[in-house]
Amino acid sequence: MFTCKQVSHSLSKEDYAKLSLTKRLFLQLHVKLCIFCGKFNRQVMDGQDMCRHFKQYEATNCQRAAELPEEQKNELKALLAAQTAKSSES
Amino acid sequence: MDRYGNYLYAYAMSRLRNADAAADCVQDTFLAGIKALERFDGSRDIKFWLRGIMRNKIVDQIRKSIKENKVDIDNEDETLLESFWFKYSGIATTNPDPWQFNPRKAYDNTEFWDVFNVCIDKVKPPARQAFVLRMLEDMETEEVCKVMDITPNYLWVLLHRARQQLKVALEEKWTGKDVK
Repeated sequence: MFTCKQVSHSLSKEDYAKLSLTKRLFLQLHVKLCIFCGKFNRQVMDGQDMCRHFKQYEATNCQRAAELPEEQKNELKALLAAQTAKSSES
Repeated sequence: MDRYGNYLYAYAMSRLRNADAAADCVQDTFLAGIKALERFDGSRDIKFWLRGIMRNKIVDQIRKSIKENKVDIDNEDETLLESFWFKYSGIATTNPDPWQFNPRKAYDNTEFWDVFNVCIDKVKPPARQAFVLRMLEDMETEEVCKVMDITPNYLWVLLHRARQQLKVALEEKWTGKDVK
């Protein structure tokens, strides 16, 4: 049987999939029965869930957060134009 | 550049929290993209292809910053954290605090993600770097440990710390007291 410490380590490291079937069953049983590990598991899951949703959101809205300064954008454009010209010559 | 520059810059900023490093990443990504353009098969959006290139640049930047400020493994802190949670027998002694709001209900609100992005900044390095690599870039534990030159156990401590700090920051900003 797992202790709370072993369960929370396993949940945090997300190495659940690497455990044997028996160990996974014991872990699930512990999480269901133990108030602490249930809450801890929920918190880890919430964190993962939040990050997953954030990544989906930023795939379409990321530019809301910050914009490349115009000056740097122009410098970069010039650099890329030079690089493109160089590679088409060679 | 006009179409994807801001997207890539914002993506790098949310991971690196440093304007110069983010701009360098954008530059390196476009330069690498031009060189590798022949290998782009068009099977997916070029934005995500560029983001794939940028991911490696971000990891390089984090590796560089870790080299400059080596992670100070605070064993005492690790012991403190563990003794706070568990008895010697490994049985838990403290319940994690519940959320002050239901995060799942906030997912549909675009403002929440802006706040979330701001709150990542409140997570202190090296916990933030561990969080970015493991949770946002989905890198394997072993890879993150290699980049950060830490043990899996210490990564576990850093990720726990990051989750806690992010939760505190989100609760502070999102419960209406300090939403900017």
